[in-house]
Amino acid sequence: MSETYYHNMHKVLQVQHLTEHTFVVQFERKEMPFIPGQHLVVGKKGDKEFRQYSIYSGLNDPHFEILVREVETGLVTPKLKQLKPGDELEINGPMGYFTVSEQRCLNHPIVMIATGTGIAPFNSWVKSFPDMNYKMIHGVRKAEEAYGIDRYKKDRFVLCTSQEKSGNFNGRVTDYLQKAYFPSNTLFYLCGNSEMIFDAMELLKDKGLNTNQMFAEVYF
Amino acid sequence: MKYHLVVLGCQMNMSDSERVKSVIESMGFTHTDNEDEASLLGVLSCSVRQKPIDKVYNRIHVWNRQKNKRNIITFVSGCVLPDDREKFLKLFDFVFPMSELGEFPQMLREYGVASPLSLSQDRESTHNVEDVLSEVETKSKKQSLLNPLTKYSASKPVLPNNKDIFQLWNVKPQYQSEFEAYVPIQNGCDKFCSFCAVPYTRGREVSRPSAEIIDEVVQLMKNGYKSITLLGQNVNSYGLDRDEELSFAELLTEIGKAGDSLQNPSWVYFTSPHPRDMSRDVIEAIAKYPVLAKQIHLPLQSGDDKVLIKMNRKHNLDRYRESVADIRELIPQATLFTDIIVGFTGETEEQFMNTLQCFDEFQYNMAYIAMYSPRPGAQSYRWEDDIPQATKKDRLKRLSEKLEEISAAYNHRLLGKELQVLIRSTERKTGFLSGHTEGKLVTRIKSKDQSLIGKFVKVKITESADLSIAGELVTVLKDKRIPVSAD
Ligand SMILES: Cc1cc2nc3c(=O)[nH]c(=O)nc-3n(C[C@H](O)[C@H](O)[C@H](O)COP(=O)(O)OP(=O)(O)OC[C@H]3O[C@@H](n4cnc5c(N)ncnc54)[C@H](O)[C@@H]3O)c2cc1C
Ligand code: SF4
Repeated sequence: MSETYYHNMHKVLQVQHLTEHTFVVQFERKEMPFIPGQHLVVGKKGDKEFRQYSIYSGLNDPHFEILVREVETGLVTPKLKQLKPGDELEINGPMGYFTVSEQRCLNHPIVMIATGTGIAPFNSWVKSFPDMNYKMIHGVRKAEEAYGIDRYKKDRFVLCTSQEKSGNFNGRVTDYLQKAYFPSNTLFYLCGNSEMIFDAMELLKDKGLNTNQMFAEVYF
Repeated sequence: MKYHLVVLGCQMNMSDSERVKSVIESMGFTHTDNEDEASLLGVLSCSVRQKPIDKVYNRIHVWNRQKNKRNIITFVSGCVLPDDREKFLKLFDFVFPMSELGEFPQMLREYGVASPLSLSQDRESTHNVEDVLSEVETKSKKQSLLNPLTKYSASKPVLPNNKDIFQLWNVKPQYQSEFEAYVPIQNGCDKFCSFCAVPYTRGREVSRPSAEIIDEVVQLMKNGYKSITLLGQNVNSYGLDRDEELSFAELLTEIGKAGDSLQNPSWVYFTSPHPRDMSRDVIEAIAKYPVLAKQIHLPLQSGDDKVLIKMNRKHNLDRYRESVADIRELIPQATLFTDIIVGFTGETEEQFMNTLQCFDEFQYNMAYIAMYSPRPGAQSYRWEDDIPQATKKDRLKRLSEKLEEISAAYNHRLLGKELQVLIRSTERKTGFLSGHTEGKLVTRIKSKDQSLIGKFVKVKITESADLSIAGELVTVLKDKRIPVSAD
């Protein structure tokens, strides 16, 4: 990390609504360095509520992006959903340890497991390191929630849809994991809601894999 | 003119208060314990629980009522959540983060208080605020003070910015004790445990320059301080925020060497470390240097991997186990302390039992066990607090009993041994003095000799209890250490 502490107002450049409740906020990066997988603490300028969001954009992108799912009863996401270009965000960070080193990528097969917007940090990894050897398993309810699906190589990406039969796999992420085979030196990165993460870890443990091979970022 | 300071919360606030006092006293104010005779009234706030926050509101309402009758100025600093800050701004004359302490005299001057005399009719003080400012301001801050209004403008970010914290560390503290001192080495936290609001109140992790820390520690050792605690929210992340800074292990090594050259006059502790950054080289340094006290506080919080994930603790049980194994291998005589939260959102009986089993496995000497309560500002505050209070109480009780059982067995093994003890105070029960061993085990001795307070003594252990030991005074050590014996 550098000796500079970032704590700034950043202008919103664009808000792209992907589904009724999910959107991407693009805002100024101001040349902030970060490590893919890290997150920012984000709040509307002058607001007192802040939340953490994984950086969705890649290392070489000139701007920042976050992928947000609106929690209708939430304090922050409904406000973020209303953002317009030119509005200002208070940004603190980047921070976090949900990162992957080159060494790990070279020596181990990498499996990324996400539900919903939990795909955000993985998107940043894949965009930043296009040659990365990975397999991504994304669990959503409907295919419309397969955010940014074209960015991932088809043979590396498994879309698990739990409420319709439009994905590569019909069922939950955990159903897929139950059936899948993984080499014993695989590293697993899990991101999203804690229930999925716990269930997935249990399943992987049952397959003889060790918790030391598993890394998690819990959103709630 | 007098000032009164209310210090709430943790050791970090205690340590900060030593610097706050320095700044205020260098302006010509003198301290009073009686708030009715003070003209400058301040609080160092704590946002960890609701109780201290209630106390802040309580005090400020009392003080504001007195404003009709007498000339007083109020301020608040410390751990303040954005939400409370908004409210405090309407109630206090000054609300500032600790990192802006050095600017406090300037703030007062802008407010029309040129010196304590401006608050008083009587003219006994001779201090001049110009001298105060030159004493307190650092080279780097003088520039920004030229235009302070830019700093306090409406567009100021709500979350604390820690980059000015160096200013606070530049203030020479007024230590509250003559034998125990806290030395801040790091401030802020980047860990974002889901139950904790500190990252939102204290801001990002910032490390104090190692040269300053070593200087302060050496000075304290030379001045006869017996217990020195390196303080920070995350002490072992020390140096990670700066490219050219020592790591925590290297910092300990430098302090260890300084201790050697001064014949190890003190016990140097640190708190709180995070298990994620408890590397083997930190433990090796503690093992190698006698001045580094053989007591380790390693917060576990929960003994269940799933709860740890939900707490966003960034370590699992295996990682923790490795650190404890390193401690037991390299420093077998070390005592081990921990922090635990019982009844965290969703904690099942089975998950609690995993924590209980950890007590058997890790054999703690002391554990600070808290029942979970959602803390405003923390991520988990918005989660359902679904464990009934009665269940939390029951888990607290069972875990406390387990701790007492383990600690009692350990303490029993100390009977007959001679241990070095730092005498800290007189005991409530007359005729006893109280202190602690190098491993921070509470030790009582039968003596009325108050002159022993602040001294190292040798004690023969004759009694053991659940969480303490007692013994007879063997000899007073003349500011010299005896070789470390296992507690
Ligand atoms: C390290 C980290 C990175 C994160 N990155 C992202 C990200 O990239 N994209 C993203 O959309 N969110 C992310 N989150 C979650 C985010 O920080 C907020 O918790 C979320 O946006 C809800 O905020 P809110 O103020 O609207 O809801 P709040 O007022 O905080 O209410 C949250 C309540 O809604 C429930 N809830 C239901 N669905 C969700 C959900 N999807 N997320 C959180 N709580 C939910 C919670 O259990 C809780 O009771 C991340 C969280 C962490 C800890
Ligand atoms: S490490 Fe966790 S508990 Fe400690 S200050 Fe940081 S967020 Fe709070």
